[in-house]
Amino acid sequence: MIENSFNRRDFLKVLGWGGATVALSGCGNTSVEDGKEFVTSYVQTADYIIPSIGTYFNSTCAQCDAGCGIMGRVREGRVLKLEGNPKSSINNGKMCGLGQAGVQAHYNPDRIREPLLRNGNKGEAITWEKALALINEKVGGVKAENVAFLTGGVSGHVKVLLKNYLDALGSGHHYVYEAVAPSIVRAANKKAYGVEMPRLRLDKAKVILSFGADFLGAWISPVHFSQQYAHFRKADNGERGVLVQVESKMTLTGANADRWLAIRPGTEGIFALGLINALAAAGLSVSGDVAAVVKEYTTDRVSKDTGVSTEHIGKLAALLKERSPSLIIAGSAAEGYAHGSQNATAIALLNQVLGNVGKTVEGSSSIPFPQMAPTTGNRLALQTLNDNMAQDKVKVLFSYGANPVFTAPVSMKLKENLKKVPFKVAFAHYMDETAVEADLVLPLNSALEDWGTVMPEYIAEGAQLNIRQPLMEKLHPGTLGMGDILLALLKQHRPDEYKGYEDFYSYLRNAMVSNKGALGGANADDDTFWEAALSHGVVKLVGATVNISSHVPANGLVVPAPFVEDSTYPLHLIPAVSASLRDGRNANEPWLQESPDPLTTIVWDSWVEMHPKTAAKLGIVEGDIVEVASKSGAIKAQVYVFTGIHPDVVSVPLGYGHEAMGRYAKGVGVNAFKILDPVFDKETGELAMHETRVKVSKAGHRVIIVKDEGPAGGKQMGRKIAVRMSSDKVNLSKEV
Amino acid sequence: MEKDIREDIAWAQINKDVLKSLESPRRLYWVILLIALAMISVAVGCEIYQYTTGMGVSNKNNSHVWSLYIATFIFWIGMSHSGTLLSAILHLMHADWRKPIYRFAEAMTTFSLMTAGLFVMVHLGRLWQVYYVMPYPNERWVWPNFQSPLVWDMFAIATYLSSSVLFLYVGMIPDLAICRDNIHAGWRKKLYTVMSLGWEGTDRQWRNFRVTYLTIACFLIPLAVSVHSIVASDFAMSNMPGWHVTSFPPYFVAGALYSGCAAIITLFIILRYVFRFEEYMTLPIMKKLVRLTFAIAMVWTYLNLIEFASVWYGHDQTAKDQLIFKATGPYAPFFWAMIFFGSILPLMLAFKRFQTHLPILFVVSILLNVGMWLERWMIISPSFAHGHYPWTWDHDQWPSLVQWGIVFGSFGWFTLLFMVFCKVFPSVSMYEVKEMVYHRSLALKHKPAVKGDY
Amino acid sequence: MSITNLLENWSDFRQQHPSDDRPHREYKWAMSIDLDSCTGCNACSVACYAENNLPVVGKVKFSHGHSHHWIRIERYWDNDGREFADQGAQFLPMLCQHCESAPCETVCPVGATNHTADGLNSQVYNRCVGSRYCNANCPYKVRYFNWYDYPTTDNVWPEPMNQQLNPDVTVRGKGVMEKCTFCVQRLTVAKSNARTEGRLVLDGEVQTACQQVCPTGAITFGNLVDPLAKVGKQWMTQQVELNKDKQAKNEAEEAAKLRGYRILEELRTYPSVMYLEQLRESAI
Repeated sequence: MIENSFNRRDFLKVLGWGGATVALSGCGNTSVEDGKEFVTSYVQTADYIIPSIGTYFNSTCAQCDAGCGIMGRVREGRVLKLEGNPKSSINNGKMCGLGQAGVQAHYNPDRIREPLLRNGNKGEAITWEKALALINEKVGGVKAENVAFLTGGVSGHVKVLLKNYLDALGSGHHYVYEAVAPSIVRAANKKAYGVEMPRLRLDKAKVILSFGADFLGAWISPVHFSQQYAHFRKADNGERGVLVQVESKMTLTGANADRWLAIRPGTEGIFALGLINALAAAGLSVSGDVAAVVKEYTTDRVSKDTGVSTEHIGKLAALLKERSPSLIIAGSAAEGYAHGSQNATAIALLNQVLGNVGKTVEGSSSIPFPQMAPTTGNRLALQTLNDNMAQDKVKVLFSYGANPVFTAPVSMKLKENLKKVPFKVAFAHYMDETAVEADLVLPLNSALEDWGTVMPEYIAEGAQLNIRQPLMEKLHPGTLGMGDILLALLKQHRPDEYKGYEDFYSYLRNAMVSNKGALGGANADDDTFWEAALSHGVVKLVGATVNISSHVPANGLVVPAPFVEDSTYPLHLIPAVSASLRDGRNANEPWLQESPDPLTTIVWDSWVEMHPKTAAKLGIVEGDIVEVASKSGAIKAQVYVFTGIHPDVVSVPLGYGHEAMGRYAKGVGVNAFKILDPVFDKETGELAMHETRVKVSKAGHRVIIVKDEGPAGGKQMGRKIAVRMSSDKVNLSKEV
Repeated sequence: MEKDIREDIAWAQINKDVLKSLESPRRLYWVILLIALAMISVAVGCEIYQYTTGMGVSNKNNSHVWSLYIATFIFWIGMSHSGTLLSAILHLMHADWRKPIYRFAEAMTTFSLMTAGLFVMVHLGRLWQVYYVMPYPNERWVWPNFQSPLVWDMFAIATYLSSSVLFLYVGMIPDLAICRDNIHAGWRKKLYTVMSLGWEGTDRQWRNFRVTYLTIACFLIPLAVSVHSIVASDFAMSNMPGWHVTSFPPYFVAGALYSGCAAIITLFIILRYVFRFEEYMTLPIMKKLVRLTFAIAMVWTYLNLIEFASVWYGHDQTAKDQLIFKATGPYAPFFWAMIFFGSILPLMLAFKRFQTHLPILFVVSILLNVGMWLERWMIISPSFAHGHYPWTWDHDQWPSLVQWGIVFGSFGWFTLLFMVFCKVFPSVSMYEVKEMVYHRSLALKHKPAVKGDY
Repeated sequence: MSITNLLENWSDFRQQHPSDDRPHREYKWAMSIDLDSCTGCNACSVACYAENNLPVVGKVKFSHGHSHHWIRIERYWDNDGREFADQGAQFLPMLCQHCESAPCETVCPVGATNHTADGLNSQVYNRCVGSRYCNANCPYKVRYFNWYDYPTTDNVWPEPMNQQLNPDVTVRGKGVMEKCTFCVQRLTVAKSNARTEGRLVLDGEVQTACQQVCPTGAITFGNLVDPLAKVGKQWMTQQVELNKDKQAKNEAEEAAKLRGYRILEELRTYPSVMYLEQLRESAI
């Protein structure tokens, strides 16, 4: 039987609210003297606790899918701040702002605190017993094939239990959905290198050419890449790497590039082939079939097609030829377009031609425990689920780690199809848009109060198993960890197998300890091994390096001609992924809303980025509210004019425009996901995110944009503030 | 040459005329008093709102940390120089024409200072701890920071206020004795008896009085100059572009005298009309006052031009940018209004036609003061809008209604104090007017005799 | 209140600006920020919010200019009128420079901001009366005023978010000025621990929150007096001297090869934060 409160180990029983009093009484709002607050002194503390001195516990961040290790500062039973775990090879003790906001996700006032059952338009609180019994009842009453589980990316022991539960039900319908995922890149990588996510060695490259991959901001594992980037910019021998970014809309990485090239949307593949042509012309040896493919992509033609000047193409080719190894990365170039796979292939071909494969594109480590290896998500999964729902094939739907009602384009009619599902269960932290539609909402522990293991998709150095352990006692007695929920559900269906486990913690511990040999703890006793695993927060795995091959299929590579302008919808919409908001899952964390967007410095609202030429043509100035309309829908937002975007493109950030979820997210900005057109990558069937065409018209009024920059914008007005010098004038090896 | 005052006014007549102003007020007085109280309550309401909610309601922000409160504070300090100018400076210069008008000017000084002091408190984020600025005994042995111009302000204004009150009071003693002797029994008689300190007008008392009065006047003149110089150093000692100007102390003093004189003109016209003081506050005196105002206006204009020129021909690009911004940016209308009201408008005071035309002078004097208020504001807000660091510029900040409410209310507070003063104390110095009449009659001894009692 | 005490300690009470015959004794905290490594990700800004109990002011107050980020990331363009920002942007983290000759310290009427013996510009919250003269005089405008009473304002620290507050740092009420303190709460603990062991703080033993979180390691912080500290070595290599407003290196030709500089140095604030110029590849 599941009980609401759990027995934790002793140290988690330490509970103290005294610290909060001390912090607040400094401002005179509460005071012990007034008798309004009570300072509880410990009668019997655990021996490592010294009041006023923090203890640090390691765990794993859950704010995005990179799986960085975190170290939580815990005082008097409360986690206060997160730092990076120095022992994790992913982030080596560093973190990003999104990770820092993990404490706000944990202490969020809008978290759901107890299970809720739908009654009309409201949710009524029920007990976990009733909730789980109800699930079993509903699941038992339908055929296995009509049960569906929609999740985000899953890994580790929760994935194992989830798989086992689905097996127990007899249903194989596990849809892994990620609204913003490099799924086309994965497929293209697999074809080109034999590996979905090769290890990228930015630190070894002398030149990085990134086609829209925002590796410093929101792409795959930004903290890890940032660390490699630091080394790339200032190698031990004083060499400085060159970053060139080619994209239609400037990302954070693009803002850090030595050269940012605005490219006509969709023509990245043409550009890559043009570079190969230029390299071949400059003397780099290329194989016959490759030469045949790139023959027509002369610099002049490529310049005309892409909009990049011949001078820049020439310089870039010269640079790539001269400085080796380089690294070419495919980012939004691939994810954005119906021919995204071809774009990615052309880019992989460029890597091959330059000899980067095996040098800066390496095989990653294999994972010795494939059942815990991450199952990554894509957008096609949601398509499939949506189709099934439309055909009434789904009778019971579970959703976990996904908010499809928010992220699905209107054209999918997902909300309507959801209504056809008679019983929907949402495992959620907030009453987000999907939870609002559900019949049963089950509140989850936050990542800082949960047990688990995590294996991120991108393997930074060697494979490692990241441990997630609670940094404090549960805030709300009514929440449960996903592991515990799955365990409880499994106990109904496979009691013999699971009844021995009191809770998920004991299951996890048992699973880890019984495999300690493979986890590097062969010589230690169980307790020592387990304590060490928890203390380090990561367990290094020994896995062979996967071989990487380079057999990019050059033959038959056809990159389509540049798009033709549509007179009704003349502009391309690029929905931007920001480092903080991403797909919107963290929109209710106020630090992130108040953290200015690095490029526009806008806070607490959406915006439409537009090039000055486009704005002038439409008679628009900064602050004008415009309607951005696609065939699928329209949104209204304020215009921000800047030169970091191609004139044929407008860009709206994703993650805003929540209609539910919480006080900091609701009503802030507009949801760009909604108006995406149903255009799909030909090879993978993934939603092509940049293929939406829009028209922009003034909606009537103008606002003053709320942003951090002032009227000077980005100008220094003749004052020596942010100074820049040319790299050939300085000798970095002489620096400390 | 017109005479400043008739030489044949009987001294008893002078007493009667001035004491008449102390009679029970007519209805208009109460109406205006009520309006003043209403204005004060607006200010009080705004201040309570600001006190409880936070300074943010004033619309000040990280760039514009100071706004109208400091501007109006300086404005009121400036206006306070009028009394000192008339009482003390012109006294030393033996300018008799000041005699009928310096009393209310002195009162104006005192009340301006009291109003300015309020703004210091309103401006602070934690006004309940304003006493930290003073060096009072405390167990932490903590002193205020003597390097800070605001602490100098505190000392200077406290000294100036106390000295002005003393000066006003001492100067009033003979008049209070007259009031005591000529008023019927009641609270007033008690008040005057106490306050006149047993003055009987003996020879010895008059001699002591003259010496005391002169001493305080001599003491007060450098004090007045230093007070506004110190207030100017709030800006001059800072490094903000547009503030870091060495000519600020004399510039501010000139501006202070200017706005003081303009205010005297305004009140002159009002009191002359309301209390029927035409015999005392005569048109020739007004003419002299107007000419003095014109002279000071030209001095102020000159110092203003010096400030602009030193920036324009200097090497400090930041200061130059700031000046151009002031003249062409969002604050430009107010800047040019200041130039117009402060430098162009007073030119009409050079013409005889306007020097005694009371309705025009009334409007013009008010506009001159508007100009001076704008001057203070234009020193503060444009410098914050366009300082050293471009990222922090804020060209779009305007004060909120809370600020305007408190500024507006301060005029009500001043009016209240002044109106109470006018009804409790003689607003024309009777003994000095008698002196003035006497001096005129002496001067005429060399001229053919004129009819009339002496 | 002792006049003798005041006069005796006057020279210790305030140094006008640093000089060679009155060098810092044990500690002088300083920072250097490498603009070529800074990516503008804003992690430092968020970490500072977490560490120092900074309130989130919300959209309306932000629009009025009441932003409250002790360290802010500024973003500059140098397009020169070109069609695109084709040389990227320049990111600059700006925080309190802890000037050795801080213009804010001289003008506070109540002495709420002072210079500590270890080289920090201190802000004493309970002494502050909120005259805001310090911010008026700060050329960098890195001081932030509590325009409202954030602890009692709705949705700033609603339950249970107030449990995240760092008990080592005061939560400020309205009317008080605040700014970056170089995480003085961490420095105090580190110094105290070191003193217990009879030594000075070692380089790397204490990190500011921004330094600790920065993914590229752009921020270096430490004790300028310590010869082994990285930050001191950086300042020396860059030939930037704390006590000078015109660096000797600027006269020499060699200056072109050194990246270190301080912002608005000509105002003679003697900041304790050195920036290393961003580089741009000349070949492309």
